[in-house]
Amino acid sequence: MRIQTPFHPGVVVPWPIGGRLARLRTSLPVWAVLGLAVLSGRAAELKHDLYFCANLSGQKQVMGSRVTVPSGLYRSSDRQNVEHLGFSHIRLFSMTHDVRDPDTLFLATLDGVVRAKDRGRTWRIMTSWDMTEAKSIAFDPSAPEHVYAGLPDGIAVSHDRGQTWRRMQEGIRRAYTQAIAVDRTKAGRVLAGTEKGVYVTENGARTWTLVQPTAETVTDLQQSPHDPRVFFMTTTKDGAFLSKNGGSKWERVAGVPTEHTLHNVDFDPKNPNRLVVCGWGTGVLVSEDGGKTWIDRTAGLPKREIWSVVVDPDLPDRIYAAPYLDAVHASDDFGRTWRKLFFEQAIVFDMVFVPRK
Amino acid sequence: MNVVRIFLWPVVALSAASLWAQPSFTGPAPVPTVINDASLRRAAFLERRDEVVNWRALLAKPGEPATVGLAEIAAKLARREDAALCSERLIELMKTPSGDMFWMFPVTCISYLGRDQLTPAAKTAVREAWRTYMPLRGDTENHWVMYYMSLYLMTQLYPDDPGESWFNGKSSVEISRESRAWLLDWMRITTTIGQGEYDATHYIGEYVISMLFLATWAQEPEMRQRGQMMLDYILGDFAVDTLNGIYIGAHARTDDRQVLEKWNGLSSFFAWLFFGNCPPPAAYGGWGIYFAVVAQNYELPEVIYRIATDRDGPYTQFERKRTRHRWRNSDLRNAPVFKTTHVTADYAIGSDQGGLLQPIQQHSWDVTWAVPDPRGVHNTIFSVQPHYSTFELMMYFTEMPDYMPSSVTFQGKPTYTSDAKFLGGSPYEQIFQQDDALISLSDIPAGVNFEQINGFFSKDLTRLEEDDSGWIFVQGGRAYIAYRPLAPYEWRPLEGGGKRLYSPHRQNGTIIQVASESEFGSWDEFKTKIRVLPLQITREPKPRVAFTTLRGKRVEFAYDAEPRVDGRTIDRAKQWKLFEGPYLNADVGSQRLTMTHGRLRRILDFNTVTITNSVLPK
Repeated sequence: MRIQTPFHPGVVVPWPIGGRLARLRTSLPVWAVLGLAVLSGRAAELKHDLYFCANLSGQKQVMGSRVTVPSGLYRSSDRQNVEHLGFSHIRLFSMTHDVRDPDTLFLATLDGVVRAKDRGRTWRIMTSWDMTEAKSIAFDPSAPEHVYAGLPDGIAVSHDRGQTWRRMQEGIRRAYTQAIAVDRTKAGRVLAGTEKGVYVTENGARTWTLVQPTAETVTDLQQSPHDPRVFFMTTTKDGAFLSKNGGSKWERVAGVPTEHTLHNVDFDPKNPNRLVVCGWGTGVLVSEDGGKTWIDRTAGLPKREIWSVVVDPDLPDRIYAAPYLDAVHASDDFGRTWRKLFFEQAIVFDMVFVPRK
Repeated sequence: MNVVRIFLWPVVALSAASLWAQPSFTGPAPVPTVINDASLRRAAFLERRDEVVNWRALLAKPGEPATVGLAEIAAKLARREDAALCSERLIELMKTPSGDMFWMFPVTCISYLGRDQLTPAAKTAVREAWRTYMPLRGDTENHWVMYYMSLYLMTQLYPDDPGESWFNGKSSVEISRESRAWLLDWMRITTTIGQGEYDATHYIGEYVISMLFLATWAQEPEMRQRGQMMLDYILGDFAVDTLNGIYIGAHARTDDRQVLEKWNGLSSFFAWLFFGNCPPPAAYGGWGIYFAVVAQNYELPEVIYRIATDRDGPYTQFERKRTRHRWRNSDLRNAPVFKTTHVTADYAIGSDQGGLLQPIQQHSWDVTWAVPDPRGVHNTIFSVQPHYSTFELMMYFTEMPDYMPSSVTFQGKPTYTSDAKFLGGSPYEQIFQQDDALISLSDIPAGVNFEQINGFFSKDLTRLEEDDSGWIFVQGGRAYIAYRPLAPYEWRPLEGGGKRLYSPHRQNGTIIQVASESEFGSWDEFKTKIRVLPLQITREPKPRVAFTTLRGKRVEFAYDAEPRVDGRTIDRAKQWKLFEGPYLNADVGSQRLTMTHGRLRRILDFNTVTITNSVLPK
């Protein structure tokens, strides 16, 4: 799930005024503007901010290229505008926030784990030269000092809220780790999605056990917000798998293709039967019966190469899809129709909702 | 190798006189010459160095600020001129920093060159840019060496600054410690199991520039010494793999241009600068300026100079390198690379063992022949099994797979997905080289993107004859070359001249035997001797060749099997040292390289951080 649950919810703080960097607004059709006008009236009801990990520099951007449009971390607090935060960065892959302080974000980047304080504005690289190219990051809500990062060569763990890090990957072979999911019901229970399958630790990463081998890399792992025993994972060309017993046993999900790379999955936080999956060539797939059957909801999107998809926790039936090198699109009917919303030529690696204080 | 030994003062004088008239990259090609007198050799080097700096400085036009970029500022500061203009422009340029580590090292260079020249305001602008601009660490080894070298040196200038003053939020002390640790680890791994981006025709520049800066400006004596030792190490490795300055044999990385026009790349700038035996590339290879502005602080050891320019005869150099980091699709983080390079005065042939050793720009083998002026000349012949895949890219990059192949073609590697490509490794190619004979075998699974072999036949071949025996006989320069395709083929024209041997068969390969024109009474004699060489070719179920070379070695090589030479199995994993040959020798894991030429010996010992020079007894 891409909603980050606060450890101490319920504290409301005033919304800081604007950012010093770029504000972007996409040109929208009239009907969409009208819809947004209605939405803006509901902005005060929004309990989460939507963050984007985005590369806006296009296909030609490599290390050393001139930056034309800032990439990296963007936030929308009203679902209409986006604000760039911190440095431009073309390889910000995913993010989370400190469970005790939603204003402190943790970013998984090419440079390692970055802590972004002040709601994303003030950055510090927390890891050293030997822990880089982080792919995923997660706090343990039951042990909020503990943070886990998936690296291309293993797993890094911090026991002091990201201040210091050490490798803890004993038992993992082929240690490329794309996805990390912390079981919110038990401190120190973590699932890692690696090149060769899903590993579980029950002891805060001291030891890991392979619970589900996969033929290809696990790309995403999510725990259901409704039933903590339910986990869902996607892979590169090995389909999707579902676990109903906390990740110990997995079953292949019928109806989700295995010939394409799946990028991510998200649960609808308001409806336990609804899930959405996306991928390269897969488009957007939706299930409204808990994953038993799947419906292709790609029609209306410009292409079938969808990098990420997420369900809005605050707006009913609202989902977002990020087609490769295109605008982020929104749907207010759970994928039946789509409209452009943010950016133009974007690769959006991740979309994350962070609760407001 | 025969060389001309002449007294060089007239050459130096002539060079100086023509300095302003014509840059060397448009001037006559130098005649390979050995300068025995150390002072003259140094003077010639400094002349070339000055030529680069002066040329670049003059690109800055009075009254045209846009002509003054970082490179021109570096050149002017090196000449200690126009400090006010440099400061003014630097303040402007620091408003829009861009380029990541390719921005970091020029700015580091300027910061040091300008320590006593730049205005306080310019220094402040530079300092502020390191707080407000976040250069990325990058994803390849040359990126990292530039990144950490730059950080190491920049924090020396501001040793007590807090984390808030640097883009990464770390204090100077933390950055310095981390950068030093990375540099030491890179030196350790390179000198124990080999360089990752080995023998890279362009990226050699990024390494040697970084090491020169370290050797010049590191305050810590150990890091200064290590910088010099790594410079020696990389340039010695380069020297032994050159033919008249041209980088030969297998490369971790080259590019679509230089893989054909072997001279045309940044590596030739360093050959020209240090060895004086080839022209420099246009604009001195671009990045060459950043070496030149500090080059006077390094003196190439004579032993390296002589390895490059003064050879007694043919030699074979064996080297072990490593792949760059493998993230997926491999149990090995750094797999070994086994190189063989055979060099004569007329030609060189070099190879690795085939396979996916590097992503995208690997060049596994070729023959290069000597030419008087290499500019515009495609003085090479080779074949490749064209391949691209997400499998390859996932192995060496950490990103999601599917978008990578097409993205690569937009990022300076336009032929990556082309069936006519001549660049890149293949998991379906295995290679063995014995002296100046080579066998490349391919076993291509059905259904992969390209089920073929591409052979490159240059426009600059002076002969090309398809023989009834199945051999294709060609001549390039003074090299006689016999090329044997293992399967039927057809010819495809090449843009820019020459033609492509296209052989669309999955069990396939190439046999090459090279010799010098001087070994034969006639062209016909060469052909006759090749035709009678014992040769057995089997293609099914996997390709297999048994071939007795022109040098009398019986080589048996089958796909997926260790090669055998005269009945003895060759176990490259056991036999290949880090370096082994007449000039460079190092054991795996030793961190100790011995460079030898005649009686000269230089030992780089990274265990003790010592350099030992000696002259062996007669």
